[in-house]
Amino acid sequence: MNEARPIQSVDAVVKESVEDTSGDAVLSPRERMGLYFAVGLAAGSVIALQIDIMRVFAVGSWAHFGSLVVSLAMLGFGLTSAVMTIAKDWFSRHWRIAATVALGLFGPLAVGANLYVQQLGFNAIFIVSDPGQKWKLLQMFLAELAPFLAGAVFLGCVFLKSNRTFGRVYFADLAGAGLCGLVFLLAMYVFVPANLIAAPLGLWLAACLAWALGPGGGFALIPYALAGALAFGGHFAVAPAFGLKTLAVNDYKGVSYARKFPDAKRVYESASPFGYLEAYSSSYLHFAPGLSDNAGFNLPTMPVNAYLGLYVDSDGPIGIMRDLTDKETAYFRFLPMVYPYIIKSSPKTFITQFGGGISTEVALHSGARDVTIAEGNRAVLDAFRSDVIRNFTGDILSKVRVIDYEGRHFLAHTNERFDVIDLSLADSVGLSNPGGFAIVEKFSYTKEAMETYMRALAPGGVLSVTLWNKEEPPKSVLKLYATMAAAAREVDPAHLANSFFVASTYLSTATVLYKNGDFSFDEIEKLRAHTHDMSFDEIYSPGFVYDSSQTAATLDGYVQQIFAGAAGGPPAAGSSDPVAASASSEQGADATPPSGKSDDGVLPATVMGRLAWHALMSGDWPDIASRYVFNTRALTNDAPYFAAYVKTPDLPRVLDRLELLQDEWGYLLIWATLGVACLTATVLLAIPVLWGWRTIFSHSRGKALTVLYFACLGAGYIMVEVGLIAHFVMALGNPTVSASVLITGMLVFSGLGALTSERVLPRMRLFMPLVFLAVAALLMSYAMFINNALDGIGSLPYGARLVFCFLLIAPPAFLMGFPMPTAMTTLGRLGKDHMFIWAWGVNGCFSVIGAAAAPVIATNFGLGAVIEIAAFTYLLALPAFFGVIAVDKVLSRP
Amino acid sequence: MQRRQFLAGAAGLIGGALAPRFALANVPTPFTFEMSPPMDSREKFIAWGLAQRGEDPKFLGERFDRFGAMVRNEDLLNDRHKHAFLLTPREKFVLQQNLGRAYDHAFLDIGFGVTISGPHIVGRMTSNIDPKEGEKVLEIGTGSGYQSAYLSHLTNKVYTIEIIKPLAERTRGIYDQLIKDGYGEFSAITSKAADGYYGWEEFAPFDKIIVTCGIDHVPPPLLQQLKAGGIMVIPVGPPGAQRVLKVVKTEGADGQMTVARSDIYGGRIVPFVPFTKLEGDQIVGTHNN
Repeated sequence: MNEARPIQSVDAVVKESVEDTSGDAVLSPRERMGLYFAVGLAAGSVIALQIDIMRVFAVGSWAHFGSLVVSLAMLGFGLTSAVMTIAKDWFSRHWRIAATVALGLFGPLAVGANLYVQQLGFNAIFIVSDPGQKWKLLQMFLAELAPFLAGAVFLGCVFLKSNRTFGRVYFADLAGAGLCGLVFLLAMYVFVPANLIAAPLGLWLAACLAWALGPGGGFALIPYALAGALAFGGHFAVAPAFGLKTLAVNDYKGVSYARKFPDAKRVYESASPFGYLEAYSSSYLHFAPGLSDNAGFNLPTMPVNAYLGLYVDSDGPIGIMRDLTDKETAYFRFLPMVYPYIIKSSPKTFITQFGGGISTEVALHSGARDVTIAEGNRAVLDAFRSDVIRNFTGDILSKVRVIDYEGRHFLAHTNERFDVIDLSLADSVGLSNPGGFAIVEKFSYTKEAMETYMRALAPGGVLSVTLWNKEEPPKSVLKLYATMAAAAREVDPAHLANSFFVASTYLSTATVLYKNGDFSFDEIEKLRAHTHDMSFDEIYSPGFVYDSSQTAATLDGYVQQIFAGAAGGPPAAGSSDPVAASASSEQGADATPPSGKSDDGVLPATVMGRLAWHALMSGDWPDIASRYVFNTRALTNDAPYFAAYVKTPDLPRVLDRLELLQDEWGYLLIWATLGVACLTATVLLAIPVLWGWRTIFSHSRGKALTVLYFACLGAGYIMVEVGLIAHFVMALGNPTVSASVLITGMLVFSGLGALTSERVLPRMRLFMPLVFLAVAALLMSYAMFINNALDGIGSLPYGARLVFCFLLIAPPAFLMGFPMPTAMTTLGRLGKDHMFIWAWGVNGCFSVIGAAAAPVIATNFGLGAVIEIAAFTYLLALPAFFGVIAVDKVLSRP
Repeated sequence: MQRRQFLAGAAGLIGGALAPRFALANVPTPFTFEMSPPMDSREKFIAWGLAQRGEDPKFLGERFDRFGAMVRNEDLLNDRHKHAFLLTPREKFVLQQNLGRAYDHAFLDIGFGVTISGPHIVGRMTSNIDPKEGEKVLEIGTGSGYQSAYLSHLTNKVYTIEIIKPLAERTRGIYDQLIKDGYGEFSAITSKAADGYYGWEEFAPFDKIIVTCGIDHVPPPLLQQLKAGGIMVIPVGPPGAQRVLKVVKTEGADGQMTVARSDIYGGRIVPFVPFTKLEGDQIVGTHNN
């Protein structure tokens, strides 16, 4: 029988020990202050190192591997917790020296890990075909794990000795990490990515100083000074001296090609949170995205030395055009962006995304009487205002009205109406990729954004959207078609069928025109004639008739193309004996043409486009989409992704054919990250269980509920953070800024919550359920309404946007700061010391799982679902909380 | 068994016995367009390759295994193309560290941010342009040099341009060394380091053009330098999920030029070939697992 005291008495137990800090280290006020500062700065340097690694990966190779490595490296906290749970007594005795040494190692390990990783030569594009790359990935993970392990040991030791006053040290941890996130944001203006490591190193040295002046003792100052010299010297002196790269830019990054052109010259460079921008000049740069092949027979020459290549985080190029003469711009007529000007003369034009300025140039040379451009990336506008690019472009920005934030926000809040609204190929041409395509939020292409554009058209105005069409089977263009049709159905269903004209070029571009009102007969004739003259393919026009006899063959063919021979898929193409095959062809050379010889008929991709529009107009699209090989869901503010094309049930079937889906590796990698995170976390959590479930944990009541509680907090908190980062990109326009604002806001407000939580400890049984309910209610309302708020915030000046974003974060973040320290302190005061340190590890492991699960949930079910699931985890934590505060048997004895 | 093949096999066996006396790099028998390696047996091919080309039996065996997979996949148009594949020593054009995977169905890194395409894609692209002896073929993007080497077994007029100068020089060095070693067919390759966007006016017009580098549009100068009736092929997209665009230039009765786009599968949906691993001529899996 369980003789434990009723758990109701826990309030009394905790109340009795509110001022009891006997389990904590005995520290003087100065030492305690030093400890808080050291914890805040050390946690800040860990956060700063995480962002630094992701920035280095984004610029050097592929951001997704940065996230993968950092996510897994954060499991260092789980590993530390597992070890400390088992060896708690040793760490309790030697906590001071262990923390001192671990902190001292963080900086040199961070520098060493980076240098090691940068020399490895990991190359993501060969990860499937070259087995050696997987080992390099493992080495990268292990190397980057080292500094995080050091950081985790330091924080773990401090937490262990602060288990009676956890709220205060947790406040220092969160607030320090949050504020240091802001410091890192500012550092991005000062340091180029290769030297951004200076920010975490600086914070780390400050942490060392605080620690030495506090609990660490002055004797640590000299070793810390040496460690600082080793870290800074290693990065800034030793590495250059020995020719070691501090940031190796992958050969397959766009900028690497530009650097190899014999006459390449970097003419512009800027570093900021909006990206690392470089512009190169070279006669070898040529841009004419989507150019009609007929240009070859109708133009004597193309302009030479006409472009700069703009690279953001080494990706690109985005073409910047020289101020061209009218003769040199003759080729504009052969570009797809010229479509709206075929039927609109002297229009008032709005360019929703300026990019490198190609649509703006086309508008200015196609008779637009008034051009307004919007560009959400301030760094791009700054580049165009620099002397070198301003002179090169003939100061293009002076010829237009400039909106320095996202076009969709401007259009949503203006009464102005436009004759032409353009959204065309503003991003990089994406000729190369060191991995797959990154999964990024594309809020400019969502259904809601399209509705905004459509509503901002003057009567008879035309929205023109051009997208790359380089996939076979088609993927992104089908998503665009579905999105625009859904938006039009919302805005003006009566004119749906007569409002669209669509043309594409095989393996080049696709252009969708939407008119506010029906296209007239004359307009359709003009557009058709132009399409014919350019040798583009007409995909849809009012009155278009689709031959439905091709439907089944096209849909089945594409399934066959990807899944032939896969489990549950169609059979593989017949295999014959090679010797027999070659022998038979010997007898009649040239007699057996391979399957690629004839050129008859309309291309399947063109048929698929026509089929898509036919179905979208007739309402058959759900059935067609369900039979199509890839996911073609419309983009919405809730799921703004040109990604996740592989349908979830098909995931197991693509494992043996990953190379066919290289453009989906970003998406597949988030699944892989989730799988690895779950596996590794399970192993880490199993270690203490196997070691001591019946021994060191045997006296702890409510073990299982405690595990559940901290798992919920770990997963829930990070899912809110990651989910809101993606949401806030809508208002802030940039993922790095959004991440910094969210990290800072969440952690600082949660830190304040943690600090306040001490006051409610005596009343926690009543108070905490209210906190959980309030968090869940707030998160549910955010899941439903935050997009509306962000849409409004997005049109404010940038400073005001930041302020409002912080204000939005504050309420849930403050309340989410309560559960962790309340429970941790309670564990400490109830004497559940093993559980205390293990709970921290459980929280860490589920943070990694939550962070990996968030993008998987977002791409499959929407960003709102991420927040809703997080809300559910907080609701689930409510009953689990009573397991945490259950009093142990040992306490129940009189 | 045909007499010719028997003789080739016998010669190969004798050659094999004497192999240690030869330096493997020297080519005993100069290339001719009539050269006909055995295609009905791995052993005969190895023996023939050793005797006639002085090549390493290990790579000859791997080449024949990949050949079998390519024949099954219909990547080789006819016997001329089959011979071209069998006669092109791919192992000479890959980096030392990738020698073990020279005949894998995968693109391989060759440095400078450039890959050597997998054998299937090279075979399929070449089959599509189907160069005949005497036709002028322009390649944009020399890269490893393998594509032009392959072409030189189909025509004696191959022109190739590489934009990255150090790579162009390295590959030219490989050709020159191989020519010295007896691969006389590579003398048909004229190369230069330049911007391929503008084609090679001096030798234009070309019967066929093969572009193996990324570009956001088909360069007008290349279309202008392509003969009427000519074919151009251009890979589009990332290396792994690449589709190859086929452009056919046609002159109408009124003298008007038109261009038709398709892909190298003739507008039909054809199942992709996964990166297969071979053991002997058996597919044993893919590189994914």
